Amino acid sequence: MVDLNDASPSDNEQKNGEQQRDLGFCCIVAFIGLIAVWLLLMPWIPGIAKQSLQRFHLRTPSFSVWAAQFPIPSMYNFANQYKVEQYPPGFVMMILDESWRYANHFPTRVITFFAGRYNFLSSKQDRWFTLKSSYRGQVLESKFHLEAQAEGGYKLIRIDEIEESL
Amino acid sequence: MNKITQAFPRLQSAGFKRPLAAYRLVQAAILISLFWKWKFFLQADSIYANIPVEDPFFPDWLRSVTTIRLAFWGSALATSISLVTPVNLLQKFCSWFGFLGISLMCIHQGSYNDMTFVTIWWCCLWSVWLAHRLETGQQELLIRRAAFLSRLIISLILLGGAAGKWTPEYWSGEVLFDIYFVDRDFWVFNYLRDNYEPKELQEIAKWYSRQTVVVETVSGIGLWILPARWAALVGTIILSGIVIMSNQYLLSVVGCLIGLACVGFLVPRRTHPTVVTAHPSTENSTAN
Repeated sequence: MVDLNDASPSDNEQKNGEQQRDLGFCCIVAFIGLIAVWLLLMPWIPGIAKQSLQRFHLRTPSFSVWAAQFPIPSMYNFANQYKVEQYPPGFVMMILDESWRYANHFPTRVITFFAGRYNFLSSKQDRWFTLKSSYRGQVLESKFHLEAQAEGGYKLIRIDEIEESL
Repeated sequence: MNKITQAFPRLQSAGFKRPLAAYRLVQAAILISLFWKWKFFLQADSIYANIPVEDPFFPDWLRSVTTIRLAFWGSALATSISLVTPVNLLQKFCSWFGFLGISLMCIHQGSYNDMTFVTIWWCCLWSVWLAHRLETGQQELLIRRAAFLSRLIISLILLGGAAGKWTPEYWSGEVLFDIYFVDRDFWVFNYLRDNYEPKELQEIAKWYSRQTVVVETVSGIGLWILPARWAALVGTIILSGIVIMSNQYLLSVVGCLIGLACVGFLVPRRTHPTVVTAHPSTENSTAN
């Protein structure tokens, strides 16, 4: 059943013409191979998992490094949790919702993406988000303050006190 | 499948070009992916315009609603032209245009997290590669390579899903229990909630999650090794299964991949020397 040479030319094409070299094909195969190695090493090399967790929290040191990682497929990766509060973390008041919920991937989606943005930011009041992602013992926690702006919309402020165990 | 395969040589002699058919099939699948969540994108557009989030992490133009609109519509238009045009120059240009538009969607604040655009991006990369080769004389070699690339891409995407799930929270079912079993409005989960107690649901979620991890791992590592048509069949079943068992919106993520998987069905059977000896007349027809 296994046919590793399935991408090779047929017998007739080998007989009738020279096999075309295809640099583009080789480059794409190499690119896929590179990403596959990255993914396969992720459980064993903490640095790779750390990069991916930072990518999920929009905390990669530079935007270009973050953007360069977009082709790496990451559907339903990591245990990503989020919590949304009406008051700053630690403020002794009634909390809107104490419970953590899971997000499938990119937990920052609860701030930036369609449904999350509507659900949590349509009130035009400040909100505090805590995101926590874990992968095989590594945990990254990030806190964001979404400050309502007088002219409409929100300003995202990353809160410095970040607990992490990467 | 045999009957279909036997019909291909006749179609080829009638002017049917398999790589072109594969190219158009994938363009159609990309369009299905783009428009499957059409209402959802319309609402998103309105929300992004009314609730802007100023985050210095993203450059201004990658937070702009105008950018996301242009990228989406530009890609959709380019893909539609690619689907119907017989002009190769236009196919090449539109493939590049679609590829660049979707690249923007993958890094825009409003769409970076939607895996729809990542899977479409891989299909666009494949389309750019193929568009530049559609007029080659070696059509059979091209369709074999196109099918090989398609199953390599699908394997990679499934591997990406698997690698991130090799963690205790997925093995225990905790993550998928919260995402799907608690309150997701979809027939599978509605049925399970109606018929099982919470304790039993947790146990079902555990095995559901483990099944997902195992299927993605095995297919991520092994799908690309299969022969073209087997890979197409297995890939189509797995990807369709994801939609049927999880969430109809996921068709936007896997729809284009199902199209990509189907490229494998267009690969002709290899000619066998024994057949050539016994029936010389078949040699030419099956090799073309």
